[in-house]
Amino acid sequence: MYRGRMERDLRRWVDLGLLPQSSASAMLAEYDARDSTFSVGRVLLALAALLLSASLLLLVAANWEALPRLARVAGVVVLIWLFHFLAAYFLGRGAKAVGAALLILGTMSFGAGIALVGQMYHLSGDAADAMLLWFAGACLSAAAFASAAVTTIAACLAWAFLVTLFDSGGLVPAIEAYFWLVPVLAVIVLTLVRYTDAARTRHLAYLLCVAWLGALYVDNPEIWLAIAFFAAGLIAFLLASLPRSPLYGLASEAGSAPSFYSFAVAVVGLAALQSEVESAWAEIAVGVGLLAVALAGIGLAGARNGAVRYLAYAVFAAEILYLAFETLGSILGTSGFFLIAGVVVALVAWLVIRVERRLGHVREASQ
Amino acid sequence: MSGALPVARWRNPFVAALVVAVLQTAVIGYMIESRASILRNGKDVLLRSAPIDPRDLLRGDYVTLSYDISRISPDVISGALPEGATKAELFVRLKQQPDGFWGPVEASFSPLAQTTDSIVIRSLPFSYYPSSGAPPSTFYPNYGIERYYVPEGEGRVLENARSAHALSVNVRVDPDGRAQIRQVSVDGAPIYQEPLY
Repeated sequence: MYRGRMERDLRRWVDLGLLPQSSASAMLAEYDARDSTFSVGRVLLALAALLLSASLLLLVAANWEALPRLARVAGVVVLIWLFHFLAAYFLGRGAKAVGAALLILGTMSFGAGIALVGQMYHLSGDAADAMLLWFAGACLSAAAFASAAVTTIAACLAWAFLVTLFDSGGLVPAIEAYFWLVPVLAVIVLTLVRYTDAARTRHLAYLLCVAWLGALYVDNPEIWLAIAFFAAGLIAFLLASLPRSPLYGLASEAGSAPSFYSFAVAVVGLAALQSEVESAWAEIAVGVGLLAVALAGIGLAGARNGAVRYLAYAVFAAEILYLAFETLGSILGTSGFFLIAGVVVALVAWLVIRVERRLGHVREASQ
Repeated sequence: MSGALPVARWRNPFVAALVVAVLQTAVIGYMIESRASILRNGKDVLLRSAPIDPRDLLRGDYVTLSYDISRISPDVISGALPEGATKAELFVRLKQQPDGFWGPVEASFSPLAQTTDSIVIRSLPFSYYPSSGAPPSTFYPNYGIERYYVPEGEGRVLENARSAHALSVNVRVDPDGRAQIRQVSVDGAPIYQEPLY
């Protein structure tokens, strides 16, 4: 974990006389005091909340006749009120972990209520609507309490919404109005992530967008769509990575994720284009384009963004090997190909070492 | 962490709790009332049905019901078919047959007028594709009444009725064409009756 590594480094710096012991202790104390710091207790509390929620949902699913259905509805509504007010009480006293766990229970109770009504009135064909309603309830709670935990639940429900769209069978994204709602949900989650400081949840939202684009492409494997992915990804990447861009400030507050995911979409677009084009020359041209994009990624964002840099290295190496296999593979035979592959990987390694060293100098100069 | 917006949060978490609890309760209340109103105000329709089984993770055991009106033959379609692939709804006019059950006499992709001796039921939106063949193929619309949730383990009764072709379902249909199951009968004897709430 980061804390362990940091503690080791701080001790080393203290031993080397670079840092007074008092500063090192103060730094660690500051880190431990942060809200977002990983704590086993907090995670276990959230897990306990999820287990209790699961039992509640299963209780609803059991359709237990001993209790009249109106009493069951009343029970669920009482739970919604109870959990939210208990959460308010504990949050007011500063018990944030307990508050978060209670908010999770509150949101899950709301979901149990929706499921219960669906069961009472034998609703069918409404799975996506139900999920959307649940998502809205979670967003409301996340916003009202500025709760990172409930934001994470909302992100999971956005995923569940995408899954229900496929579950209903015969999904055709282009004519399924709800399909176009998925990126809207992702934007809502990202807004909540910023508002509630649920930093790690951000990835769920970005991955949702990527999965959505993937589904769109599977449904329409067309050249224009691949080009659109590439263009949109590249534009988003430039907007997020160039210090001159108007969105740079906003994007860099979100860490390396915006640059990384937009770069990934651009790369996926080009890779799809490469698999789509017919002639060998077009394929090589696209391949050279991919290499150029990888180098541009390293040049533009590599110094500040490790995630983009490593993705770019991987793309560069894989594409070189792919091109070598496509162009020389048939002439050389298998053993010759491994020879070429070895040489290529050695060249890429040399390039990576050069780039890393150069970026190191850049970082030093900029400090 | 960075990235916090300078938005004024509700200082008092109790206000947040009140807002969230009231709105979530209102949503559940609205869902219940919107279904109950169909039961209260809708017109009665008796449908012949056959059940098939499985289980919903969130809502528990249910029986899948398929109806005579779940197959709409192209002969009864009136009006124009949609032009390209789209999300479509089918409006189906039901009339009572001599045996007491209601069956489809007309179906259209645009709303049908209500008459005194017929009831118009509306399908859930479904994906429509123009068929290439000259006569359009049979439609299989759903109406949102294809599931009946039963207490755990009770699905058997209905399943056994399936083999005997003895299952009938009373449905209430509101003026919008939305349907709600009111009663399930085997051999004409009611075995499940739905209360308003």
